[in-house]
Amino acid sequence: MSDLNVAVIIKLEPDFSEGNVSYNPDGTLNRAETKNTLGPHSAIAAHAAFYAKVMYNARISISTMGPPIAESVLQMAQRICDAEELHLYSDRIFAGADTLATAEVLKTGIEKMQGKMDIVFSGHRASDGETGQTGPQTAWKLGFTFLGNVIDYKIDRENRIIRAKRLVRLQGFSDVVEEIEAPLPVFISIDPSYKPLFNTVSQRLDFEKFQKEARIRAENYKQYLKVFNAQQLGVDPKYVGLPGSPTIVYKVERIPKGKATRQAEVLDGSNSEHIRKAILKMKEALAAMVVK
Amino acid sequence: MEKYDVVIIGGGSAGLAALKQLSNLGKQAVLLEGGNKIGSKNVSGGILYSKKPKKGHVHNVEDIYGDIFLREAPLERKITKYILHSTSKDKVYSMDLTVAHEYESNFGYSVLMSKLNAWFADQAAESAQKFGGGIISGVHVSTIEWDEQKNKTIVRTDELEEFEVKAIIAADGVNSEVAQISGARKKFLPSQLYQGVKVVVKLPEDVINERFNLGTKEGVAHLFAGDVTLNHIGGGFLYTNLDTLSVGAVYHFDSLLANPVEPYTLVDAMLKNPMISEFIKDEVPSRGKIDKSLPQEEQLRIRFAITKLIKSWYELRESYFSQSKRDELVKNGKYQSADELKEKLDSIHEQLTKKYGVGFVTDYVEAEYSAKLIPDGKRCRMLKPYYKNILFVGDAAGRGIFVGPRIEGLNVGIDDAARAANSIARAIDKNNFSSNYLGEYYSSSIEESPYTKDMKQIDKDYLKIFLDATKEVPKDIISTRYGTILKLISSDTIRSVAVKFANILGYERLLPMVESVDTYVKVPIEIAERLGKKVSKTYEPNIPSISDRVAKLKFNDDSNSHIKVLDPQSEFMKKLVILCPTQCYSLENDQVLLQHEGCVECGTCSQETDWNHPRGEKGIVYQYG
Amino acid sequence: MTEDNYHHLYVVIELEDSKLVPVSLEMLGEARRLVNSFNKKYNLDEKVVAVLLGYELKEIPQILIEHGADFVVYADHPELITYRNNIYTKVISQIAQDKDIAKIISSEDLKNFKKPRYMFFGADSIGRHLSSTVLVELESGLASDINKLEINDIKLTHQHKTDGKELTYEKTLEMYRPDFSGFLWTTILCLDNKNPSIERQYHPQSCSIIPGVFEPIEPDKKRKGQVIEYTPKIDQQDLKVTVLSRQVIKSEVDFDRYRAVVSFGRGIKDAPEENIRLIEQLAKLLNAEIGVSLPISKKPFSVNQNLSSKYMISARVIGTSGRKINPMLYVAVGISGAMQHVAGMKDSEFVVAINPDENSPIKDECDLFIKGRMEDVIPKLVEEIKKQSLLAQA
Repeated sequence: MSDLNVAVIIKLEPDFSEGNVSYNPDGTLNRAETKNTLGPHSAIAAHAAFYAKVMYNARISISTMGPPIAESVLQMAQRICDAEELHLYSDRIFAGADTLATAEVLKTGIEKMQGKMDIVFSGHRASDGETGQTGPQTAWKLGFTFLGNVIDYKIDRENRIIRAKRLVRLQGFSDVVEEIEAPLPVFISIDPSYKPLFNTVSQRLDFEKFQKEARIRAENYKQYLKVFNAQQLGVDPKYVGLPGSPTIVYKVERIPKGKATRQAEVLDGSNSEHIRKAILKMKEALAAMVVK
Repeated sequence: MEKYDVVIIGGGSAGLAALKQLSNLGKQAVLLEGGNKIGSKNVSGGILYSKKPKKGHVHNVEDIYGDIFLREAPLERKITKYILHSTSKDKVYSMDLTVAHEYESNFGYSVLMSKLNAWFADQAAESAQKFGGGIISGVHVSTIEWDEQKNKTIVRTDELEEFEVKAIIAADGVNSEVAQISGARKKFLPSQLYQGVKVVVKLPEDVINERFNLGTKEGVAHLFAGDVTLNHIGGGFLYTNLDTLSVGAVYHFDSLLANPVEPYTLVDAMLKNPMISEFIKDEVPSRGKIDKSLPQEEQLRIRFAITKLIKSWYELRESYFSQSKRDELVKNGKYQSADELKEKLDSIHEQLTKKYGVGFVTDYVEAEYSAKLIPDGKRCRMLKPYYKNILFVGDAAGRGIFVGPRIEGLNVGIDDAARAANSIARAIDKNNFSSNYLGEYYSSSIEESPYTKDMKQIDKDYLKIFLDATKEVPKDIISTRYGTILKLISSDTIRSVAVKFANILGYERLLPMVESVDTYVKVPIEIAERLGKKVSKTYEPNIPSISDRVAKLKFNDDSNSHIKVLDPQSEFMKKLVILCPTQCYSLENDQVLLQHEGCVECGTCSQETDWNHPRGEKGIVYQYG
Repeated sequence: MTEDNYHHLYVVIELEDSKLVPVSLEMLGEARRLVNSFNKKYNLDEKVVAVLLGYELKEIPQILIEHGADFVVYADHPELITYRNNIYTKVISQIAQDKDIAKIISSEDLKNFKKPRYMFFGADSIGRHLSSTVLVELESGLASDINKLEINDIKLTHQHKTDGKELTYEKTLEMYRPDFSGFLWTTILCLDNKNPSIERQYHPQSCSIIPGVFEPIEPDKKRKGQVIEYTPKIDQQDLKVTVLSRQVIKSEVDFDRYRAVVSFGRGIKDAPEENIRLIEQLAKLLNAEIGVSLPISKKPFSVNQNLSSKYMISARVIGTSGRKINPMLYVAVGISGAMQHVAGMKDSEFVVAINPDENSPIKDECDLFIKGRMEDVIPKLVEEIKKQSLLAQA
C-alpha cells in the first residue's frame, strides 16, 4: 500500500569532470563533445525521494524536460530512487526556454502523473545555468508550499504533515537550522548537503531491497517511460520555449580580469626592503575593487 | 530493539561465504561491512583455489555458491602454469612448479577482490533477503555487550541503533576489531605476520595472451625469490589477470623490522627486475608540459582536451586488444568492424601526437597500489577460534596458509565460513548458543579441516613434489647451508622417515631454518648466478613516487582520527616511519607523528597504536583490490 | 506602452534576526548608483524603493534611507517575523503592484502603473528562492547570481522577441553573471516580446545579486526619504508553514566575510604554539580569517587545548576535503603546496607564500614568495605593517 506520491524533477547536464568535458578555444563549453549526465543536484533530489521510498513505501515518479537523449538521465535517476513512472517532455518548441517557461512545462507534466503528488523534489541548482529558479517557480505554478534548502524531513502520513529541517545560509551570519512543519503537498528544493539517514538495521535492509529493485527496473526503464510532445502535454505554445521566456542570453564574453598564470616574485625574508615591498603589495591587493 | 539471528561482521570473501551458506541452510543473517560498498577494503594477492584434499574435505567456493560460480563469477584467468624464479641482477633461473600448484587442487583462478566480492555480495544478498536478512555497508561495529542474565547479545555500531543477535561471525580480517573489543585474543605479533604490498598494472588482454603465451582466459603465476627481495624473508609474485597484472611482494614482518625498507621500495624492486619490467611494459602516452605563456583558460582547455583523448585512447585500446570486447562493440553496432576500431584508435593516436605534441613511450601503466597484513596460520591461528557466541573465521582467526611458495587465504576463509555457518545453523535449531554447544562444536570442525592440518605439520607429498620440481638445483648449494634434517629430506630414500621426524620436531623448530634469508635470498641468488639466463632490459620503467600512488587512491576522508600513537618515541614506531606503506608517519624532533591522509588500513602499525577502522563508509576505497 | 506602466527600482531587503543582511545595503548601493546615472541619462526622476518585511522593524527603514533608498515600503506584522516563502512572495507581489504606493512614490499620478521597472533580490538562501516565486507571481523574468549591472538602450534582432527585425529596447538592464567555468560572463536580458504573434510585456526586469560584490554607499544621515507603511493582506492559505524552531549553528569560521585569509601548515612544527601566536598576530593586522591545511586538522602537534580546538579542526581546512575560497589576499605560511590544498585556494586574487624552501610546490601557485622561516619573517612583516599604518595616519 503506497499512499504517498512523490515526484522528482531532474536535468540532463554536461559532465564537467576532467576526461569528459571539452571546451572551445573561446572558452565556451563544447556541448557536442561533452558527455551528458544526470546533474549532481538532481541526483541528490533523487536520493531524497528514495528516502521516502524506503521509509514510507512512496510511489515515485521522475520527470525532465529535454531532448530525446534525456531518456538516459531518467534511467540514471530511476536507478537511484526506484521510480515507477518516468516522464520526458520533449518538443522542438520547448527549446530556448528559460526557467519560467521550463516551469510551465514541468508543472503541466506533474499534473499528468498518476496520483496526486504529495511531495515534489528538485535539486538546488543545475551545474550549467545554475540559477536554482526552476524548482521554486514550478512549485509556485503548482500552488504547492515551497520549502528550500531542506536537509532532513519526516512525514506524518496519518495527518498528512511534513516536518523538515532547512539550512539557511546568509552572508555575514552564522548558519541557521530551521525546523518547520507544513501540510502536504509541498515542493522541496533539496540542499546540496542533504544526506539521507537510515539508522536501523531494518531500514538499511529495506534500502538494499529497494536498491536492487531499482537496478532491475532501470535496466528495463523503457517500460516505465512516457514521452510527451507539446500537444500531448497540452501546453499553450505562448508560455513555453523561447516565446514563453522573458529572459534571453544576450552575449557571452571573457571576464577581462582573468587570472594570468602566477609568476612568483621571490623575496628574501631577511631583507627589510623586501619586507616593505611585500607589505605594500599586500595592501594593494586588499584595496583592489571587488569584482569576483 | 530490533532482533536478528546472526550478524556477520566483515564483508570480505569469508563473511560473504558465511552469509551465503547460512541462507543455503534457510537461516536469517545480516552482514555488516564497514566500507561504503563491499570490496572497497579488500586486497588479495591473489589467487582463489578450490581444493580436493586426499584426506578429509573442505568446503570450496563452488560448493557454497553453486554451479553459477564457475559460469558467471568475474574470475580473471585460470592459472595453468606456476613458475618460481630465482633472481640475481639481470639473471633469472626458472623452475616450473605447476605440479606443486596443482597438488590436491581443482582449480586456481586469479582474482581481483573488488569485482569478485561484489559478485559474491549480489549472490549472498539475494539469498539472504529471502530469509529476512541481507547486507548493510557503511557500518562500523563499536561494541558488543553480553547481558548474561537475560541471555542477550547486543551489538552497537557508530551508525545504527543497537540491535540484538543470537550469534556472531567475526570475519573482519587480520586486524579484527571484534577480537579486540571482545577480548577474544591479543593482537597478532610481527613474528606471526607477513606484510603484502602490490600494484595492479594495466595491460591489454591480447598483449597478455601473447606475451605470456596463454590461451583465452588462461593464466600464469610467477613467483620470485632472490635479490628482488632486498634481503627479506618472503618473495614476490606476478599474476596474470584478464587485462591487468598483479605484481607484488609478501615479506615476513619480523624480517622487515630487522631490516626496515619502505614497502613501495620493495614493490619497486620487483618492477625494476629485468624479467618483470619486460612483462609489464606497454605503449604509454607521455604528457608533455603545456606552454605556460598561454592564458590560463587556454591551458586548462588544452589540458581537458588531452585528458579526454588519453581516456578515450585507453578505453578503445582495452577494447581493441580484447577479443570479447571487440566483438561486443561490433555487435552493439558501435563500430562496423574491428578495423574501424583500429582506425579510430590510430586517429586518436595521431591527434595526440600531431595536435597536442603528446609522445608515446615504452613504459608501464600502474592502476592501483595496495597493502595488507597477512596472518601466518602456522604461528598465530587461534587454537580455539571462538569466544562466547562469536565464531572467528579466516584472517580474523589468524588462519592463513604459508608453506613455502604456497600462500592461501581466500579458500581457507571460505571453508572456515561454511563450518561456522553450519555450526550456527545447528545452534539455531536447538536454540543453544553456549560455548559447549556452539563454540566447541565449531572449534572441533575447524580442527578437522585439512587446512588446519597444513598449519600444523608438513605434508610429505607436497614436499616431495616441491623437491622434485627443484631437483636441478645443485646439491652443494643446499648442503652447505642447511642442517642434517633438510639434507635427509632432500634424499629420496629416507624422505618419509625424515618428514615424520621433522613433524615431531614441529614447525617451531623447523621454521627458523626453512623460513630464512638463506632460503629466500641467498640460495636463489646463487642459483641464478650459476644457472640463470640473462634477461635484457629494453627500457627503464617510470615508477611513480609514493605520493603519486597515494594521490591516485580514493578515500572518503574521516575527519575523526581513527589511529592514535601510544608512544611517539618507541623504536617500533620509528621503524613504522619506514614501514607504513603509504608514509603516514614522519619523524619530527625525535617524535613519531601521524597524519593519516593516505591510510590504507593495513594494520602494520596496529601493534603499538590504539588502532581502529575508520567509521562507516570512511577510509580507503579500493577500485581493484 | 512600457513608458507608462513600469517605473522605479524596487530592492527587496533581507533581515535575519531583526538585523540587516549585508547584501541588502550592497544592493541598495548599486541601486542608488544605477538610478542616479539612469535619471541623468534619460532625464527622468525614478526612485529607489526599498521593500521591507518583518516585525518590529524599529530604525531599519531609517538606515535604508541613509544608505540610498528614496522610499521605504514596509510591512510590519507578526506573521512576517521570519521568512516563509509563501507569505513573503504574496506580500512583496502585492506591494510591487500596489497603485496607491506607486502614486506616493511618483511625482504624479501614474494611472497606468503596473509594476516596477526593475527589481533586486539577494542571491542567498532567502533571496534566490524568494525572487523565483515572486517573479512567477509577477509573470516576468529573473536572472540569478549577478555581479555586474548596466542600463542601456539595446539594438537587437531576435527570432522570437523581434520577429527577426532590428528593434531597440530602451532602458534595458544588462545583467552579467559569471558562468560555471569562472572565466566567462554571460549577459542576461529580460525583454518584452515585441513579436506581434506572441506579444507580451515582461517587467520588472529582475535579478538576484551575489553578496560581497557591490559596495554600499557611504551612509548619509542627512539624506531625505519617505517611509510608507503597508498593511499586508494576509490569507490563511499562505500561512501553512509553521516555524517550530530556529537554531544558530556555530559556524565559527566564515571565510567569505573576510577579504584576507592566512593559512598555516606543518611548517609550524619547530615551535607550534609560538608560531600559531605569530600567525594570529599577522591575521589580526590584516583583518584576516585563519585557515589550515588538512594535516593540521588531524592534530599532529601537541599544543594547548584552546589552540587545538580553535584551529586544528576540519572547519578550517582549505582544500579538496575542506573549503574552497577566493579572498583578495591569501597568505600561506609553512604550507608546502600539496595539490589538495592548492585546489582550495587557487582562485584567490593575490597569493603570498612564506616558506624557507624555495623548491616547495607552493612557489608555482603564488604571486609573492617570501623566502624564510616564519619565526623570522612574520615578526618583520608585523613590524612593517604597524610602521606603515602609523605613516598613513600621520
